Formats: sequence, structure tokens, C-alpha cells
Amino acid sequence: MMFDLSFLNMCSSRVLEFDLDIIQCVDESKLKWTSFHLTDKWSALCKESLRLSRISEFLLLNPLYIIRIMHMLHVEALQILLQGLCGVPKDRVRVHEFCLKSGPNLGVVPSEVRLLCDLAQPTPTWTVRHAGGAMRGAGAEQLSVLVRSVVESKVSNNALRFFYAVGYKLDHELLKIGFAFRFQRVVPITVTVTSANRMPRLHAIDDAVPLTPGIQLVEITAPAAGDNYNEVAAAVSSFCEYLVPLLHLSKPGVSTGIVPTAAAAASSLLSNSGGKAI
Amino acid sequence: MEADGGAAPSQGQLAPPAVEAVAPPKVERLNPVVQQQLNLESVKTRALGLYKTISHILEDFEAFARSNTTPKWHATALIIVPYASALAFFKYLLEAIFTGSLLGSQRKKKKSFDVISELLHCRQDALGQFSMVSMDLFNIVEDIKNVSKAFVVYPRNVNAENATILPVMLSSKLLPEMEAEDTTKREQLLLGISGLPVHMQIEKLKTRIDMIGAACEAAEKVISDCRKAYGLGSRQGPTLVPTLDKVQAAKIQEQENLLRAAVNFGEGFRIPIDQRQLPTSLPSHLADVLSFGDGAQNLGDNAGAYGKNTSSFSSNQGVLQTAGGQLIGRSVPSPSNAVSFDNASTPPMAYANSPRSGTNIMNTPSPQQQVQQQQQQRQKILQLPHQQQLLVQQQLRQSSAAGVLGQGVMSQLHDLTGQTQQKLQQITNMSASMQSQSLLPRIQFGLTGGHTQRNHPSQMLNDQMFGMGPSNPANMIAMQQQQQGGFGNISTHTQNLQSGMVNLPNTTQNPNFPQQRQQNQS
Repeated sequence: MMFDLSFLNMCSSRVLEFDLDIIQCVDESKLKWTSFHLTDKWSALCKESLRLSRISEFLLLNPLYIIRIMHMLHVEALQILLQGLCGVPKDRVRVHEFCLKSGPNLGVVPSEVRLLCDLAQPTPTWTVRHAGGAMRGAGAEQLSVLVRSVVESKVSNNALRFFYAVGYKLDHELLKIGFAFRFQRVVPITVTVTSANRMPRLHAIDDAVPLTPGIQLVEITAPAAGDNYNEVAAAVSSFCEYLVPLLHLSKPGVSTGIVPTAAAAASSLLSNSGGKAI
Repeated sequence: MEADGGAAPSQGQLAPPAVEAVAPPKVERLNPVVQQQLNLESVKTRALGLYKTISHILEDFEAFARSNTTPKWHATALIIVPYASALAFFKYLLEAIFTGSLLGSQRKKKKSFDVISELLHCRQDALGQFSMVSMDLFNIVEDIKNVSKAFVVYPRNVNAENATILPVMLSSKLLPEMEAEDTTKREQLLLGISGLPVHMQIEKLKTRIDMIGAACEAAEKVISDCRKAYGLGSRQGPTLVPTLDKVQAAKIQEQENLLRAAVNFGEGFRIPIDQRQLPTSLPSHLADVLSFGDGAQNLGDNAGAYGKNTSSFSSNQGVLQTAGGQLIGRSVPSPSNAVSFDNASTPPMAYANSPRSGTNIMNTPSPQQQVQQQQQQRQKILQLPHQQQLLVQQQLRQSSAAGVLGQGVMSQLHDLTGQTQQKLQQITNMSASMQSQSLLPRIQFGLTGGHTQRNHPSQMLNDQMFGMGPSNPANMIAMQQQQQGGFGNISTHTQNLQSGMVNLPNTTQNPNFPQQRQQNQS
């Protein structure tokens, strides 16, 4: 069958095009793909094979990432600190993440799409996410955060089959277990502390083991638009200042070391709480 | 550095010592580049916060000292006195940071820092709380040291009066303003004794210094006694920050890099090809999503994606699924093995009614089409399910239960005949490009009803675009076997056809096909 899958070739430079295509493509009530890139055959295929039911959210995000690796011992302390700073209860995070890479039939440049299955909910919910390239340039170097274009949407549970049908292949999968805090501080900020677990066999969730047993991943993200990312970056950076005693946060590509005060700060946080259950 | 307007003209003369990449400032704010380099904003934020915290601490202690006169807390009172001056200096320090002007000497900072640390360790319950504060202070002091390296003495105002002596003053590292403040402080200190001869002044100052020293020592003694009395460990001052030895630090760094690579690029999560077999028991959230035979072929290094049939089969086709799952769970076959089924004996026409045969027939023509039309996209897409079909085919051939399963399939498929007709219409367009020959159009498509995707091969048959050459019987066998194992979607069936066609001895139309498949599997 002939169809042009160029809209699925999610090169970073074409994220905007992709967004428009998707917005045109998806008619939420009718699940009809009507992008001008697609032929009718593809349209029929999608309609029949992919039940993209209830694309309830479709967000164009520019999340600003700061990622920090921190030692396991201080996770408790960080949780206490975040609890105090954010004022909201923590959310459990248990996400089965599929990283799908496009095959050669979808263009010369391979693109990556991630399917996230949230297992913390009573009913697993699926999300598809595509992260574009990071913002580059002198302005980006100045920022202490990483700005990327991200497209996210909730999808039905046959999204995995759909992407397989289209030509995506499973590159790797991982399980992220941890907690997250979502709160508002100028902008909605999400702080996620997770341990990345690998599965020794395909889809063997119960056998997942942490990839780096002593170290967890701290991610701080916030959505931004094209015109206000500077303010959002400033908000995120200023929030990170509160975490300085425990950990230093840096852009995803930059490595940071152990904070010398981390042990003392963690002990003080833990002793303050005095065993309070959170 | 902050500069008033009048200071600008003197920039050229003064030529401040080399500062990293800072142009002579002619603006009233710090060069933003410098600000960011030195992370001044963060230092300022932290210093502000710390300042407030210490002020609160100081207030608490003052209140406590007033209310509590037990001997062991006398030291607190004594400490407060020098601390007051230390705090005054600390205020000056912070002001200097805020305004970006020169920072004072290091000695005073250290002393104030030590005193503050003493203060912070006075009370047992305060110790835990304020250890963080002391850490913050330590960090800030360190940062300020770094920051101060970027700053130089800079006269706030240069006018005719001091222009000539400024170079000298700069060399002696005395600001005229600072000098004035110094003089004022000196007058305060020497209040009452300034009239005496110098040596007496010196002696009086010495006694004062000794008194303060004695007070500090007494305070330290009290602190250590309290620590022992309350069972606290040795002081965790900034000088006692536990440092990781290099081995540990290297290990942690390595783990950190590993985690970064894993999260950003997926290193460390990939499973080798030979282990990429779908487990017989899927997690609950995947059980409905993936069919039993899908996993192995959808992995990037292998065949890649092909469609999967799922929940629609669950109730009616449990038997088939189980059997298929067992079969598919075996090792991934090499592409060359797919040839073997083509040479199998021609099945009796009884198999023509099985859904598998229908599927296989539809798949067969597709390689011909590809060769004819040379549509690479399709080829690659079809290859993906194709490999899985090969896998299924081989396993099914090896299984002696094929016949049994076939009958089961037939019974189930008959139930789906009604739905088939509708779906055939829909898929007609899609299969239009698949000009394959149909040998048993009517029979087969009637049996492959049910799932939308399975109707695709039926559609192809209906279109009568498919033709089964002399090799068709062989393909039918393969197709039957394939169908048994995997009720895939359209592309799945297509794959079957492709594989069948490629491996047929009388088919030489698709020389590239095995290569493509091998690529997918490699």
C-alpha cells in the first residue's frame, strides 16, 4: 500500500509541521486522520487499526529539563525537603516506558517516539511523547536549563500496536519507579525522582532491577511557550536554589558531582522530621 | 563592578588588574556575563536567606541569653558581643555582594565565620537545625572567595582630590571610603584611650584582644563540654566535611555517567537479540496490547514492527493463541529457513478452507508486486511482519499439531464469516496495490473473517488481483501454518506472502528480499 508517512518523521526541525499535521489529523470525536500528507489508504488503515480513542490532551510543551543524579541515601531527605517546599503530597510514579525508533521506511533520519504506560493508576494509561531537539545557540548556552520541544498526548492502549504497524521498532524499554511533586511556582513545575530500572527479559516488569543501584534521577521540568521560556527558566532555576544543600542540578548533558554538604543536609532533614510519615 | 558616572573617565588610567573577560564597565549594573559566570545571583539569594536565618538565630540567642542565666550559657552572652561585630561585618559583606563592590579582607570573614559557627553550635537542639545553615555559610564563603577573585579594588569616586593618590592607594589595597570607615572604627575602638601615649594604647588594645580571646576559648570549652554532656559527636564543622576518597568519587561518577547515558540515549536498557523473546506471561497492561506472537519481531534490531492482533481474539481463540505462543516462543529462525516450507508437500484442498490458507495466499502475491512496482516503502513495511510470519511458519511446520489447530481455526473462523463481508469492502482499496493472484478467492476470504486486519488478505483475494502460480500449493501450506500461529493484521499476511514468494524456487523476482529480511533480523 502506498502512503506517505512523512508526517511521522519527527525530525526536530519539523516539529512544528508535525504539530500542525497532528492537529489536522486527529479529529477527536471521529478519530479521522485527515492530514494532507496522508492518502486515503493510510487514512483507512488508521481508522481501522488504530483506535486512538479519546485523545484527551494534546499539549505542545517545551519542557525545561534539569537533570541531576543523586545518591540513594539522600532520596528520603530530598523527599522531605520537597514536601516542605512544594506543599503538595507526592505522587507515586511507576511508568513503563517504551522507546520506539522509526524504521528506514519512515525516512532517512530515524526518529524516536516514547510510549509511557502509567502503572500507578488503577487502570494503566498510555501517553505518547515525542521530544524534539534541544534549543541551541548562544542564548541556550546562557540558560541553566535545557529547552526542548515536546509533543505529548494521551492515547488508547493500542498505540503500541499502531506504532509497530506503522514501522516503529522497540529500541529499548525501561521502568521508572519513584515519586513526583507537581506544584505551581510561577509556572507549573514537576519534580520527579525516579530510579531507572532495566528488565532482563522483554517486558518482564516484575524482574526489573535498578540500572544504577545507588543513584536516582532527579528531573525538574516545566512547560513553556515559545515566548516565555526565559521566565520559566528563571523560575525553575530559582527553585533549584532551594535544593542546593542536597544536590546540584545541571543540564542533562552536563555532569555534576556529589555535593559535599549533602550528607550533613540529609541528616539534618531526616532528623528534623523525626520519623514523620509522609 | 559597579561604577558611578564619575568613575568612568578614570578607567583608562586605573587599568584594573586582569579580570576574566570583563570589559571596563561603563554601565551601572554588573556585566550580565560576569554575573552568570560567577553565579552571583545564586550567591546573593543564598546569602540573603542565610542572613535572615542568622538574624533569627541571633535574636533567639539574645532572648535566651537574657532569660537564662545559668553559668554554662554565659559563654553565649560572651559570644554575642564579638558576634555583634562579626555580624556587622557580615552585613557589610553582604552589602558588598549586593552592590558588587570590593569585598573586605579575608581575615575578618574567617573570624566572623568561626564565631558564627560557634554560635550555631551552642545549643543541642539547635545544632541539628543549624548545621545546614553552617553548611550554607561555608558554601557562601567559598563562593565569595571565588567571586572576590574577580573583583578588584575600585574607587567609588575619582576626582581631582584623590586622582593623584589613587594609584598608590590601589597598590596598598585601600579604598578611600574604606579608609574613612577604618578611621571611624579606629576612633571607636580607641575611645577613651586615644589621649594616652601610644604604647599605652597598644597595651590596652592588647588586653582587650586577650579578653576576647579568653571569651572565645571559654565558649569553646563550654561547647565541648555540652557536646560531651549531651552525647554529641565531634563537631561537624566545615573543616570536617567528609570527603569521599577518590575511588568512591570515581565510582559514583561512573555510575552517574551510566545513568545519564541510559536516560538520555537508552544505553544499558537494550536487550540482545537472542533474548528478545516475548514471555509467555505478559504484564497485565500489555496482555491486551500485544498478541502472543508479536514481541520478538517488533524489536529494533530484528524484523521490526508488524501489526498485532489482540483483544478481539482473546475469547474465541484462546486455544490458538496458546498453541501459537508456544510455537513462537522458540528460537528465532533465520530467514533461510523460511525456504523449507515452500518445498513441503502440497496440502490437500481441505486446507484451502482454513483461514491460514487464505492468509497465505494473500501474502504470496505481494513479493511479486513489490518487484513489479518497486515500492521500497512497502517492501520494508511488509518485511517486518514477514519475518514473524517466517518464524511462525517454521515453527508450525515443525509442529505436528498443525492439523489439529487448523480444524480449530476453521471452526472459529466460520463464526466470523458474517463480519468478513463488510470488512472486505473496506479493505479493498488498501489491497488494490497488492496485485497478487488469488487461487481460492471465495473460500478463503470467507474464512478469514472476524478481525479487520485479517480480512485484508480476503480483500486481496476478492479483488482477484492475486494469482497463485504453480508455487501456490507450497505457499498455501506455509500460509496455513502461518495463519495458525499468528492472526496478524494486514501487513502480517502480506509478510507471509512475501516470504512465501521469495523462497519459492520458481520465483526469482525479488532478489533483494532475502537481504532485506536479513537486515531486519540482524
